[in-house]
Amino acid sequence: MASDNLENSPHMLDHENDGENLRIKIIGVGGAGNNAVDRLKLDDLGQIHLAVVNTDSQVLASSPLQDKILIGSGVTRGLSAGGEPDIGRKAAEADRASLERLVEGVDLVFLLAGLGGGTGSGATPVLAEAATKAGALVLAFVTLPFTLEGARRHKQAQNAMSALRRTCHAVIPLPNDLLLQQMDEQATVLDAYAMADEWISRGVCAIWSMLLKTGLINVDFATLKKGFDNHGGKTLFGLGYGSGEDFENKAVEDLLLCPLLHTPEFSRKADSLIVNITGGPDLSMNKVNEIMNLVTEKFGSKDNTVMSAVIDENMQGSLSICVIGTTDLNGDKARPFGIFTGSRTVESTVTDDTGATRPVSGDTAKRRKKEPPRHSQEVFAFSRDDDQRGYFEKSEHNLYNGEDLDVPTYLRRGIKIKL
Amino acid sequence: MAKRKIIGAVEIGTSKVVVLVGEIVGDRSLNIIGRGQVASYGMKKGDIVNFRSVSDRTHAAIITAEKNSGTTIGSVYLAQTGGHLKGFYNKGSVTVCSPENRVDKSDMLRAVESAKRKDLPPDRVYIHHIQNEYRLDGHLIEDPAAMRGEHLDVGYWHIHGDEKKLTDHIHVINGMGLKVEDVIVSSIASGCMVASEAEKKNGILVIDMGCGTTDYVLYRGGHIVRTGVIPIGGDHITNDLSMGLRIGGRHSERLKLRFAKAMLNPKDKNDRVWLIGDMSIGDRRIPRLAIYKIVQSRLKEIFQIVRDDLGSTLDSRNIAGGVVLTGGTSRLPSIANLAGRVLGINTRLGKPPPWILKSMRVPEYTTVLGLLYYGLTAQRSIEKITPQRRLIRKMARILNI
Repeated sequence: MASDNLENSPHMLDHENDGENLRIKIIGVGGAGNNAVDRLKLDDLGQIHLAVVNTDSQVLASSPLQDKILIGSGVTRGLSAGGEPDIGRKAAEADRASLERLVEGVDLVFLLAGLGGGTGSGATPVLAEAATKAGALVLAFVTLPFTLEGARRHKQAQNAMSALRRTCHAVIPLPNDLLLQQMDEQATVLDAYAMADEWISRGVCAIWSMLLKTGLINVDFATLKKGFDNHGGKTLFGLGYGSGEDFENKAVEDLLLCPLLHTPEFSRKADSLIVNITGGPDLSMNKVNEIMNLVTEKFGSKDNTVMSAVIDENMQGSLSICVIGTTDLNGDKARPFGIFTGSRTVESTVTDDTGATRPVSGDTAKRRKKEPPRHSQEVFAFSRDDDQRGYFEKSEHNLYNGEDLDVPTYLRRGIKIKL
Repeated sequence: MAKRKIIGAVEIGTSKVVVLVGEIVGDRSLNIIGRGQVASYGMKKGDIVNFRSVSDRTHAAIITAEKNSGTTIGSVYLAQTGGHLKGFYNKGSVTVCSPENRVDKSDMLRAVESAKRKDLPPDRVYIHHIQNEYRLDGHLIEDPAAMRGEHLDVGYWHIHGDEKKLTDHIHVINGMGLKVEDVIVSSIASGCMVASEAEKKNGILVIDMGCGTTDYVLYRGGHIVRTGVIPIGGDHITNDLSMGLRIGGRHSERLKLRFAKAMLNPKDKNDRVWLIGDMSIGDRRIPRLAIYKIVQSRLKEIFQIVRDDLGSTLDSRNIAGGVVLTGGTSRLPSIANLAGRVLGINTRLGKPPPWILKSMRVPEYTTVLGLLYYGLTAQRSIEKITPQRRLIRKMARILNI
């Protein structure tokens, strides 16, 4: 472990002494992942590289991107994985070298995939592992199949999820059933998938904009990395958007109603929390403060919240909030694994840094000192918070004809609930 | 003076732990002399998820009941539910021994033995063997003793459960130094409280909808033909509401109790209700339609699962007694109406019989009352699980506690 840190540190110093050179890669894996990357609406690509990985050469050929990697040509002969995660995994293993090259020297990797199929479920964990080994911060945004897609795909998605949780720094699942709830009655299947892409793109945007855009409060990469130094925990992810009259309150309300914050998949209290607010030039510090107070109270404690506020010229009269948090459900077991990327290294980097980020490093150090007592307190608070977590989260699965009966019926049947 | 015996009935439910103390006078009448009830903690879907707190709560309930009754309990009847309970039907067949083809007691015993002989996987144990009908040469016969025929069949409905979970339950009681007299599946306990002997003959389906599970028992020809547990209950409705309306668990429970309905009244369609009602911060107006949709889809699914589980056994021609709903969740308005629609059989609500003290005559107590009732019949050493209700009715008198 220690040698790992040593190996990583010079390499990381190189990048972070010069914040502009932060290398971010967004990689879509499998059919759904490719679509998501193609449709990403990023106005300023700057230092962001997009790439797609697939077993299906036809899908790859139709992608407008430059960086395309065909995996498993020896396994599938350029055809798709046919919905078999095993084939997807074998394909990725076969071309592990080219995947490693893809993530080499990258600081932040976003993995976008649709779980349940072959390539997405099979290859994503392999790629995630390669990226983590290369020292990158790996965040995966994955969609989970509709219940109506059948029990098999559901099972494959669950398996892939647990594989990803072991290798990524954060996995953000977006259940398609839930996304359906967000749409109106006339929505088509295509609309539903487009909706999933939209959620992914908002999540990705929120993270990169807080790193790269100018703002009232900026977050640097080291702080972001610190927030995700636990593997295996559950993730909290929510978005809120408001525009027009009284847009600040509307955004907060939208966030609180975000369906992603109300599933058993997500934990509602986070151990570390990253909040990003993006607003127009009319965003006032006062308002930022108010929102931060509200959000931290709702989702975690102030001590371990990283906040950022970003100004976007195009956002005049509107506001978007993004909340990302991780929890450390595995307790102490997750810690040693989390040092993988070396939290100590991260800190030294921040201290070495010049100018604006110095206060942040002090902050980070304080947080670290506070951590042990907070952690032991969580253990006590846990049972009392139980009703705030997805209620059946910790009980056995309730499978009947391949459906998990603990998931609300209206979600599984696609019944729309209008609030 | 007649002999007195004290028995206890314990139901460790998902929402509450209830203990009743019964006094059996002679072997004829039963008085309920004590009650202890504690809110349950550490149970989900009828299973223990936190042994320590379940054990603490149960002990507290037993102590309250003992104090209440002024006696001590020596042994208890324990209710058992949970998704791990499974059942199957099989038949024991023998050839009648005697040369003149008269059925002897020993033939009947052999038939019963062969029906019970089926082995279970190592981690499963039998809870009940429930005798069904005798058939002599294929004809239904109530008591084949001394009748003529060549082949004797006896049907059995066997209920088995996960050994670890069962011993966990029993261990809770043993941990207090009490003996578990018998473990009874909740659905059977509830069934013998709300169904009359005549209804059991004609066929009746009893569905006990609790907080964590939905238990059902189907009677036909006076026998228990089927039992089943679906690990969905009121908790799921609460959780569905909190996810669907995006509100906290405490609010959704309150909302469920106040506004949830199985069938929507057309005039409520555009109505909205206040979440908290005091217009404080966070209070908002929630459409009744949303509550109704969430609750109804869940309830519908429960009844559909019951219907699918029973399959062809559930035939309105065979179930003249109809369907009876009991248990806490059956308090939801118009639930019987919905169940009737899904199951295609006349459905009504069932409560414990009128000779029970009024404050105990609520659907939540059906199971635990049934346990005591079972205890009484067991004392009278009747092997059959379904007691002869006509007799008991005269004898049982419930005193104030």
